Amino acid sequence: MSLSEVTERISRKLEAKGAQPDRQKIESRLHRLVEEFGVNIAEAERTVTGDLAREYNLTGVGSNSTELRPISEIVPGEWVTIEGKIVALTPSLSPSIAQTGIVADSSGAMRFVTWTRANAPAMEYGRWYRIESAVVDEYKGAPNLKIHSGTTISRMEKDVPLLPSITPITELKSGVGSVRAKVIQDWEVSHDRMLQTGLLGDESGTIKFVIWKEDGAGTSRGTDPAAPEEPLGKEKLDLDTVYNIFYATVDEYNGRLSLALNTAMYISDEGDIEVGRNETEIQGALVHVAPGSGLIKRCPVEGCNRTLSRQNYCPVHEIQPNFRYDLRLKAVLDDGIRARNILMQREIVEGLVGISLDEAIGIAESNPIGMDEIFYRIRNTVLGRYYTCAGSEFGGRLLVDSCTPVTFQPEELAALLNRAGGEPA
Amino acid sequence: MSPQATYEREPARRVFASELRETRYQFKDGDDEKSPTYVILPSGIRSNRIFVVGTLTEKQRQGDQNIFYRGRVVDPTGTFFIMAGSYQPEAMQQLARIEPPAFVAVVGKPNLYTTPDGTCLVSVRVESISVVDRDTRDLWVLDTARETLDRLDAFGTTEDSKKAQEEYGTQPDLYRKIVYDALSQVQL
Repeated sequence: MSLSEVTERISRKLEAKGAQPDRQKIESRLHRLVEEFGVNIAEAERTVTGDLAREYNLTGVGSNSTELRPISEIVPGEWVTIEGKIVALTPSLSPSIAQTGIVADSSGAMRFVTWTRANAPAMEYGRWYRIESAVVDEYKGAPNLKIHSGTTISRMEKDVPLLPSITPITELKSGVGSVRAKVIQDWEVSHDRMLQTGLLGDESGTIKFVIWKEDGAGTSRGTDPAAPEEPLGKEKLDLDTVYNIFYATVDEYNGRLSLALNTAMYISDEGDIEVGRNETEIQGALVHVAPGSGLIKRCPVEGCNRTLSRQNYCPVHEIQPNFRYDLRLKAVLDDGIRARNILMQREIVEGLVGISLDEAIGIAESNPIGMDEIFYRIRNTVLGRYYTCAGSEFGGRLLVDSCTPVTFQPEELAALLNRAGGEPA
Repeated sequence: MSPQATYEREPARRVFASELRETRYQFKDGDDEKSPTYVILPSGIRSNRIFVVGTLTEKQRQGDQNIFYRGRVVDPTGTFFIMAGSYQPEAMQQLARIEPPAFVAVVGKPNLYTTPDGTCLVSVRVESISVVDRDTRDLWVLDTARETLDRLDAFGTTEDSKKAQEEYGTQPDLYRKIVYDALSQVQL
C-alpha cells in the first residue's frame, strides 16, 4: 500500500463528509509519521484521519469502527466495520444467541455471534454483508465478531468468488482455518453425537478432526428461497483421500488443536499428499497389557462402533447380536523414565503377534475360554519385551502406526562398557 | 477429558539385583492412606515399581490358607526375590505356570521387610511376569546399565540422590564397577 493510495482514501473519506482537505498536507503528515517516526501505515492512516476529522470538526470519520478492515487484520478489543460473505451458519446453542457462523472476506475468516437482543436481520448463507460497528472480542482464544444492537448490517449485491487461503496444519491457530489435507486415520467415534473423527495430515503435520451429527441442520438458514442451499447434515470423509477443507473451526483444548468440520465446506481433490509426520517415537519395555485388549466385539450400528460387553451390550444401542469382531492392544510402554499408554489397531496387532483377525475368531470360537484365549496369547507374546513404537500422541495415548521389536546392538554394548569406565574388553 | 488423563502411571525403574539388595530407605509420598510408598535406590532415584529381566531359577508354593509363590530371579549381579500372593491372582497364576529355569520379565513393586533378628530384606511383589528370550534379557542388561549410569551421572544434583547420599553414603564408582561387570557378562 503506497502513501498516495492512503492519501486518496483519507481525502475521499473527508470529502464524503463535506470537507475540502488538502491532499498534499495529508501526504506530508503520513510521510512524516511513516518515514520519520517509523509508524506503520495502518496506524498512520488512523492517526491522520482522526487528526483531520477533528480539525474539520467532522464526526464519524476515521474512527476505527467505520473504517473498512480486512478480517485477517482484526484483533480482539476493536470496533470494526467489515464486508464479508457468510460462509457458514451453525445452530445456536442458546436462546440469547440469534445466529452464529463464519464470515469471510478475501483476507481471512472469523466466527461471528449475533445476540438475540441486537434485533439484527438474519443473515443468509452465501450472501455478502457490510457489518458496521461490530465489536471483536476473544472467545476460546480466537477473535470473535459480536453483532450487537449498535451494529448496522446491510446486504450487499456483490458476489465475488472467495478463494480462502490454505494454511499448513502446523501453522493453524484457534479460530477459523482452511486446509488441504489427506484423511490418514479414521477412528472409532467416542460420542453419540459424533459422525466421524480421525486424523488429517498435510506436508507439515497432522491434526485431529471431528464432524458432529447435525440434528438441527438448516434451522438457522434464511428463508429467502433464492439463497444458495446450505448443505443439510454433513458427509463423512473417505480414508486416504485428499480434501480441500474451507472454513473449518479450529478449537483448542489443553494446548492441542483440533478441527471441527461442521462449519466447513469440503471438496475431495485428485492429488495426493506426502504427509509430514510429526510423530512421536518411543522405545521401551511393554510392562502392562490392559483389559480390553485382544479380540473385542464392536457395535454394528452405523457410526457407533463402541466396544460391546461380553453379553453383547452396547451402552447406547443395547443388545447387538450381529456385532463385528476387532483386534486391538491397549498397553503401557515404559522407558524407565515415563510410562506411556499406547493403543494399537488391528493391522499392527496382527503383525506383532502373528495372528490374523480371522484366525483369532477361529481360535476364540473353538476354545473353552473363548476370547480370553486371545488376550492371553497376545499378552504372553508381547509382555516384558522391548519395542519401538511410532505414532501420533493423542489424549495422553500414543496411537501406534508402526511397532518393531528392539534388536540387540553390539556397538551399544561397547559404548556402554566404555561409559562405565572400564578399559574396552 | 477423563480424569485419568491427569493420572500418570509410575514408571518401572531399571535396577540391578545388587543395587536393589542394598536398598533400605522407604517413605510415603503424602499423608493419605492411598499415597504411594517409594524406596530410594542407592543410585539416587525414588521408585515404587521396577522392571527386571533375568532367569527364574527356583519357584516354591507356600502357605495353606493363603497360598503364595516365591521365586528367585537371577541377573548378572545377583538375585531378586520375588513373590506373588492371592492379592495378585493374575500374577500368581502366571508364575504358577512357569517352570524354572526360564528367562522371565517381571514388573513389580519393591518391598522392604525387617526380619526378627533385624536384617532388612528386599523383595519384589509381582504385578506381572512373563516368559521371554535371551535377547530380551541382554537388552534389559543394556537398558539397566544405561539408566543406572544416567542416575550416577546426575548423582548429587537431584533431591533423591542427595537423600541417597545421606541414607547410604553411595560411592558412584562402586556402582559403575557393578555396571561394568554386568555388561561384560553379555555375550556378543
